[in-house]
Amino acid sequence: MRGFRDALVLLVVIILQATLVHRIAIAGVRPDLLVAFVVYFSWMRGPIPGVIGGFTVGLFQDLDAPGPLGLNALAKTIVGFIVAKAGFRVHRSNIGVRFFFFVTAMLVHDLIYFGFYTAGDFGALVRQFVFVALPSALYTSILVSLLLATVERASRTLLLTDEV
Amino acid sequence: MFRLLFARRGDWAAFTLACTLSLTLMLLGRGQQARAAWFVQHAVLAPVDAVVGWVDAGIGVYWENQKLKRRLAQVQIEVDETRSERVENARLRRLLELSQENPFDLAAVRVIARSLDRLGGSLTIDKGSKEGILPNSAVITPEGLVGRIERVSPHEARALTLLHRDCAVAVRVGRSRVDGVLEWEFGENPVLSLLYVSSQEDVKAGDWVFTSGLGGVFPEGVRVGTVSRVGIAENGLMKDVQVKPAVNFRGLEEVLVYLPAGAGRGPRMLPLESTEPDSAAPPATAARPSPAPSESAGAGDGR
Repeated sequence: MRGFRDALVLLVVIILQATLVHRIAIAGVRPDLLVAFVVYFSWMRGPIPGVIGGFTVGLFQDLDAPGPLGLNALAKTIVGFIVAKAGFRVHRSNIGVRFFFFVTAMLVHDLIYFGFYTAGDFGALVRQFVFVALPSALYTSILVSLLLATVERASRTLLLTDEV
Repeated sequence: MFRLLFARRGDWAAFTLACTLSLTLMLLGRGQQARAAWFVQHAVLAPVDAVVGWVDAGIGVYWENQKLKRRLAQVQIEVDETRSERVENARLRRLLELSQENPFDLAAVRVIARSLDRLGGSLTIDKGSKEGILPNSAVITPEGLVGRIERVSPHEARALTLLHRDCAVAVRVGRSRVDGVLEWEFGENPVLSLLYVSSQEDVKAGDWVFTSGLGGVFPEGVRVGTVSRVGIAENGLMKDVQVKPAVNFRGLEEVLVYLPAGAGRGPRMLPLESTEPDSAAPPATAARPSPAPSESAGAGDGR
């Protein structure tokens, strides 16, 4: 049942990422719902599901990405693992904490991704980080925090757990 | 050893495995990467791709529909504006044609207010003495005579229409050349009456009535209306003639006002937008006849 619910949420996220995200871009900045999913999924489910989810989602994203195959998988695996390890100490239902956690996790993901992608060009890395990663992390975190708050208020549980 | 590793440190083992797999994929050659990607895309993810494509098409149609609705609303507004401008354009074109046909100086003016009475006995126009409008100047439209200017201030003027008792007009029946005075008469059925027409004169219903130019206020030959009814007055000496005006006084938006003789400027028309006399107007044709509209004939023209 849990697996089915996770797969359903992932499918919805993939559909939204593929269909809606480019339409709600602000000044070229798009939210990255797949990273947000990995962060939230790992946070709620723990390290092993987080690693598997991160790797799977990353690999799926790699198929449609210009970078080398496996780069997104690696970045999301690492983020999923770190989030799962660090997240169990964090209060999961507080919206402020959640926002900060999302921003940090997404920045870590982008740091890994752009670190490999720019292949040691520090200037390019800083530019990508400031002009792409930071705005995208903020936009995604705001959007996802609001979305989760709405969904969880309606269902009266956290999205991927049975916690109240 | 792996079993022990997974039992004790399952999370770390999974993490290490996933990282190793990812790095292995990254280190593959371009051709091998492409083959692996092709396999995963077509074998595993084809159904997901189909669902995504289907949803994307649906959302795209919705988005496009919203955009087209907005565009349609904008276009509708533009069409309405264009329609209104076309009507105004036709009206102004007719005014312009009339002024070009007419040998006298004319000012095109807008009607900015109407009298409060139901009949429309007076109008306020948007040009005054600064633009050369003088009291007793004739006011016309392409349809015919409207009335005369009664009072002038620097930037506006009040005109009395034929439906005002103080606006009598010396007129002539076009067919038989019979002269008379047209005057608004109150009564149970207020009408425009053609007065001072002998019972022996030849006037018939349907005859056109024009200004005669007698009295000096109105230029000669301006259409006023048609004879609608002819009878004999109670005293038996005069005819009782009623005239239907050519102008619809309720629908007036722009009118033309005769200006004083052009002093060498020739025929021209002040543009509606301009408040200054048109100094760039073509000279020439100053020799054309002028009706001397500046003559003051008081309220009772021809009486």
